[in-house]
Amino acid sequence: MKLSTLVTSIVAFAVMAAPAAAATSKTLDLVKKRGNLRCQVGTPSGGFYNLDADGNWYGLDVAVCQAVAAAIFGDKGKMEVQSVSSQARFTALANGESDLLCRTATWTMSRDTQLGLDFTGVNFYDGQGFTVLKETGITSALQLKGAKVCVTSGTTSELNLTDFSRENNLNIDIVTFEDWNVRDDTYLKGGCDAVTGDKSSMAANIVSFPVPANHLILPETISKEPLGPAVRHGDNQWADIVRWSLFAMINAEELGVTSANVDDMRANSKSVPIRRMLGVEGNLNEGIGLSKDWAYNIIKQVGNYGEIYEKYIGSGKGALGIKRKGTLNELWSNGGLMYSPPMR
Amino acid sequence: MAIIKPTKRSTIAPPLSETSPVGWMKKHLFSSTLNTLLTFVTLFLIYITVKGLWVWGIADAVWVADSRRECFDISMDGACWAGVIAWLDSIFYGRYPRDELWRINLGILLLFVWMAPLWLPRVKAKIYIGLTTVFLYPFLSGYLFSGGDKGIFMQLMLTAAIVCLAGNTIHATIGVFTGHSLPEFLPRLFGIKDVQEKTLHNMFFTLIAVSFVAVFMWQMGWGVEKIPWTKWGGLFLTLVISGVGIASALPGGIILALGRRSKMPVVRVLSTSFIELFRSVPLITVLFMATTMFPLFLPEGFVLNKLVQVIIAVCLFNACYLAEVVRGGLQTIPKGQFEGAHTVGLGYWQTMSFIIMPQALKHMIPNIVGNFISLLKDTTLVSIIGLFDVLGMLRSISKDLPWLGLHREPLIFGAILFFLICFVMSKYSRHLEAKLSTEHKN
Repeated sequence: MKLSTLVTSIVAFAVMAAPAAAATSKTLDLVKKRGNLRCQVGTPSGGFYNLDADGNWYGLDVAVCQAVAAAIFGDKGKMEVQSVSSQARFTALANGESDLLCRTATWTMSRDTQLGLDFTGVNFYDGQGFTVLKETGITSALQLKGAKVCVTSGTTSELNLTDFSRENNLNIDIVTFEDWNVRDDTYLKGGCDAVTGDKSSMAANIVSFPVPANHLILPETISKEPLGPAVRHGDNQWADIVRWSLFAMINAEELGVTSANVDDMRANSKSVPIRRMLGVEGNLNEGIGLSKDWAYNIIKQVGNYGEIYEKYIGSGKGALGIKRKGTLNELWSNGGLMYSPPMR
Repeated sequence: MAIIKPTKRSTIAPPLSETSPVGWMKKHLFSSTLNTLLTFVTLFLIYITVKGLWVWGIADAVWVADSRRECFDISMDGACWAGVIAWLDSIFYGRYPRDELWRINLGILLLFVWMAPLWLPRVKAKIYIGLTTVFLYPFLSGYLFSGGDKGIFMQLMLTAAIVCLAGNTIHATIGVFTGHSLPEFLPRLFGIKDVQEKTLHNMFFTLIAVSFVAVFMWQMGWGVEKIPWTKWGGLFLTLVISGVGIASALPGGIILALGRRSKMPVVRVLSTSFIELFRSVPLITVLFMATTMFPLFLPEGFVLNKLVQVIIAVCLFNACYLAEVVRGGLQTIPKGQFEGAHTVGLGYWQTMSFIIMPQALKHMIPNIVGNFISLLKDTTLVSIIGLFDVLGMLRSISKDLPWLGLHREPLIFGAILFFLICFVMSKYSRHLEAKLSTEHKN
């Protein structure tokens, strides 16, 4: 029997059997009593949640966890990162092991409505794409007729690829792999004509290839993959905290507040939206039960959305190098989808 | 009728063709056309493999670099060991705080100090030393590794462990130089001769009690910072899980095997069903049940330590496998041995511990060590349930942004590590077999 099938069936049973009990009590009180936030990620994934050589977690999703910890405790370090395999991810949230999940999980209707969890926002808009060798002369995914395409098994990528091939009568020959390192090795050795996966991970892979300039990500995006944090269903206050922690980062970018200038802004800014967000005036904090400086702590300690994007995903030193300009991850005011409802 | 005269012939050296290297080669490598051909083909295969590994792994390899990109800039086709080197601490110690690594090192050193007397020839009372290793050392190392506040139980056990370690070491040192045990040596220290057994005991226990109180007072003011288990990882975690598994699987296995052969129906049925249940389920299922299903049945907000769950699962699982090995060993003992033991008036436990087990265990060594080796390798499964053991750490390297995609070198390094550990275990088992074998040499 295939390991993944076995594991999935156990976990599916576990999810169904999971009492929603853990959700009924207030997660915020539990977290405060415990003194740290338990934030779930997966096994390391480039740019989103990685371990460095000293054993520290970093990445875009980890930054969201840090933001929530900063909002609650005023200290981004009061957070424990839990690494859970993808088969057990929703169970670990349902049974109360994790307070929050932020691990490149795609927000889909079935997950949002059937698994006892609530997605609270999107911190990265991804989509499935293809990587090919430039020398093949392929410039569009529609030219992949009869091509061999490598994909990791058990992912939605495999499903999307099948659909795409059927819709366009491409007759694609699908080669599946358990491990993406092996998949990429096969591609590099000429075992397949193209690799498919989320575009962010395609970009990460290309960075890791011996000669990145030889490879090309095709323009087509064949699926929608909005990735974001999720919490247990039923605790609305907790969902609000996670939702607005992310919104605060997006809003801060829009308002031009960064970790560098936030102190100055708090002391001197005349702008009412900024003063409200940073807790100088108004009482926005009362609704979610946090201290007045919750948003200030997030921006001061973690940064605004643009900062964390550049640091881990964008063109910052050692980041993945995925350009933000022209993608869905730009602010709405620059033509992207990153949009926070007003904080007032 | 021929008469055979026992005359001694002078010994003749074997023919040169048998002993000279060329002769040996002629006989073993080039005895026929086919063999000659096979020899050359094999030599060629060895040559290209070794050469390929040499060029990739050593000659063209990069040892110093800050990122995989730098490795590529220096050498396109060589291995990038720089990534493995940068991650060495993580591979060995996981996410354990770097300032506290001495605690792990000290813990491992103390294990060797504790067990060293077992290998020294003139030391007495080795059984006691062995037992304390299993029952007291875990408290000492457990506190060193995890730290934090000590409960009263932990304080007592820690004190006992420290006293015992000191006693062991002094006892072993005395043993090596004089051949006496610690209690025997005490009166000599005070220059008293011909003491009674009772006085000897009293002296010994007074010494133990005094040092116990002294150590207890001292440890109250001593403590180390708490390190949560989530920071444990790397080879250290692998060794902790498999070490506890190995230490507990054998006693557990012996008890289960005896239970299965018992004449008492309840004990027999319970042992048999326990063994069969665990043996018919894959380890990964047991691990998943222990870590994801089990918490569902617990009261809300109550989160059990995942590491403890995993260790318990590994122990139970391996005890069941060893139980069958032990049962196999027990069945090799002829009935006469049991009957003989009964005849001289030994009871069940005496028969088992003095007659049957010593013989049976000797036969089981290869199998037991085989099980231990597979236990060690099986523990890598915990990386699937989110513990960062050595394999989990090695796989994380390929996702760390500076070393993105670096997966071959870490895995090869892991293979070498596992080979070394397993080979040492296997060699030690051969040594044990040779040492314990009294007859049936074959």
